[in-house]
Amino acid sequence: MSIKTLFIGLDGATFSVLDPLIQEGVMPYLQSFFAEGVRAGLRTIVPPLTPPAWTSLMTGRTPGNHGVFDFFRMDSPTTRHIRFFNSNDVQCETIWTLASSGGLRTTTINFPAMFPPPHISGYVVPGWVPWKQLRLACWPEGLFEKLKAIPGFNQRELAMDIKMEEKATEGISNHVELGPWIELHTRREQNLFQVLRHLSQEDPSELTAVLFDGVDKLQHLCWRFLRPEDDKPLTEEWEHQIRQLCLQYFCSMDNLIRQLCELAGPEATVVLGSDHGFGPTYDVLHLNTWLEQHGYLAWSDAAHSRDSEGALLGVGQVAKHTWLMDWNKTKAFATTPTSNGIYVVVSDGTSPGVPAAEYPAFIRKLSDELRTIPDLQTGQPLVTEIYTRDEAFRGPHSSAAPDLTLVLRDGGLVSILPSPTAVSKRPVVSGSHRHVGIFGAKGPGIRKGFLANELSILDVAPTVLYSLGLPVPEDLQGRVPLEIYQDGVLEKHPIRRTAAGSTGSDGRTGSAESVPAEMEDEETVLERLRELGYIE
Amino acid sequence: MTPRRQEILDYLLQKMSELTQDWDYPDPVRPESLLFSELGFESLDAVVLCTAIQEHYRTAMPFAELLAEIGQQQRDLSIDELVTFVDTHLNGQTHNGHPHPMSVSRQVQ
Repeated sequence: MSIKTLFIGLDGATFSVLDPLIQEGVMPYLQSFFAEGVRAGLRTIVPPLTPPAWTSLMTGRTPGNHGVFDFFRMDSPTTRHIRFFNSNDVQCETIWTLASSGGLRTTTINFPAMFPPPHISGYVVPGWVPWKQLRLACWPEGLFEKLKAIPGFNQRELAMDIKMEEKATEGISNHVELGPWIELHTRREQNLFQVLRHLSQEDPSELTAVLFDGVDKLQHLCWRFLRPEDDKPLTEEWEHQIRQLCLQYFCSMDNLIRQLCELAGPEATVVLGSDHGFGPTYDVLHLNTWLEQHGYLAWSDAAHSRDSEGALLGVGQVAKHTWLMDWNKTKAFATTPTSNGIYVVVSDGTSPGVPAAEYPAFIRKLSDELRTIPDLQTGQPLVTEIYTRDEAFRGPHSSAAPDLTLVLRDGGLVSILPSPTAVSKRPVVSGSHRHVGIFGAKGPGIRKGFLANELSILDVAPTVLYSLGLPVPEDLQGRVPLEIYQDGVLEKHPIRRTAAGSTGSDGRTGSAESVPAEMEDEETVLERLRELGYIE
Repeated sequence: MTPRRQEILDYLLQKMSELTQDWDYPDPVRPESLLFSELGFESLDAVVLCTAIQEHYRTAMPFAELLAEIGQQQRDLSIDELVTFVDTHLNGQTHNGHPHPMSVSRQVQ
């Protein structure tokens, strides 16, 4: 058995960072990768956030259909308690389970929403699991012992170190801390690669996937070193040293991508993807403070009496909002700093909150007022888009989603902690998420040196399934991008569809037989793509 | 058939012993061992452990409320208290009269 499809995830990767690095010669392999294959922008879902976006990539479904909206979630609309997301929140099949039930083996390393691990055929090393608990999280039983036997294996550096994450999100301001932190992430990616190489050499899987998430972390903290043109020029010696460490990280990443492609071999399809893009952010909207100032939220006595400073990410602050707010007076609140979401407290007739009959008018009034928040620098609206739950998360699982989701002018994330002012300036520019990430693919049948139009993150799952020779379930919301394939490939290997919710080509878990795609529809699409010049 | 309290305790002590071996934690894990101040848990460690317990017993338990209450009171949680919490939600009552953890307040050192 050998690797048939290799998926390489680069969390938060964006062409605005990668292209200059390619031009500077920092990432020569990535340059050749795109020359030998296809590249495109990859538009993500709302919100452009790691858990829902990777889940959309893995499932080919939007958050309202897969059920993951944020790092945290409330189990019901009536509870105030939130908990960390986990794999049980994913309400549909993933490419891992589809491949497994299609009779293929899967190795998946460091993806979110994978704990508790699905009992698939192959190996699961979940991401977003604290290092002390990694043993509990791996699948199958006994895998962790195998990993421990790998020379140089370091579980503390391989999995998540909460203290390090919190430190990073609180801000590292000088090179004394920042340099070792960047080097840690360089080592961490190498550790992830070593795990994948070991498992692939010992017991390869047809679908093999790894997620490198240091890209996202470096871009959050080191944006001004990666793209000094978005802030002030680098002048100090230590600033140039930090930039060099960042370049070393990306150079090392380039080398890992090369080694991964060599490991997979020339007959494998390799797909690159990111969950969202990145860009600079300059302002902070202290959302709960703004809600308080406008009469929508009241802090509790506890919020005033104790130190409420904490991690931006909130992993050390689980459910802190439950006692920071006065629930008798609060009508709208933000629970996490990651989703830019606002929840509305709806009264059941006896409890405090917004009466159900007044909910639509309340949402309109709140949205109108949010749109008037000015950006500190230009005076232009800071909140550029506001999505209602139905607009952003339509689907059977939308009830756990925020009532409103904000998009800020500079793509920034909100703060949920009390603050003297509703909007403040960041001391230095940071990186924040954007809606367009990256896509790349190369391998048998894929066009070479082709720049495709923007794809959707929902297209990745059907593309991976097609590359594996598996049928694509009808309820996937993305498409196999026909334009990335060479002439004759689709005719020779037509896309097979299978009924919604079914998985297997061998009938083990599937409920319906695979059927060829409607050839007329396929031909129509092919003709349209020919007219557009995507295929000849 | 639901497990007895002693079985829950044995399961948790075994799991914690396996985990602490990976951390090079030098001392044996005891029922009195405190998750945060002794074993060095962060809140997400507790979340993952609680999720693993739910998976093992295939029963949803209100761990979010327990962890929120612990955070609010800034207190710690012993293995024994966690066992009592699990036992209460699996069996509906405590077998040995241990107080429910939600009623126990102990400051984090």
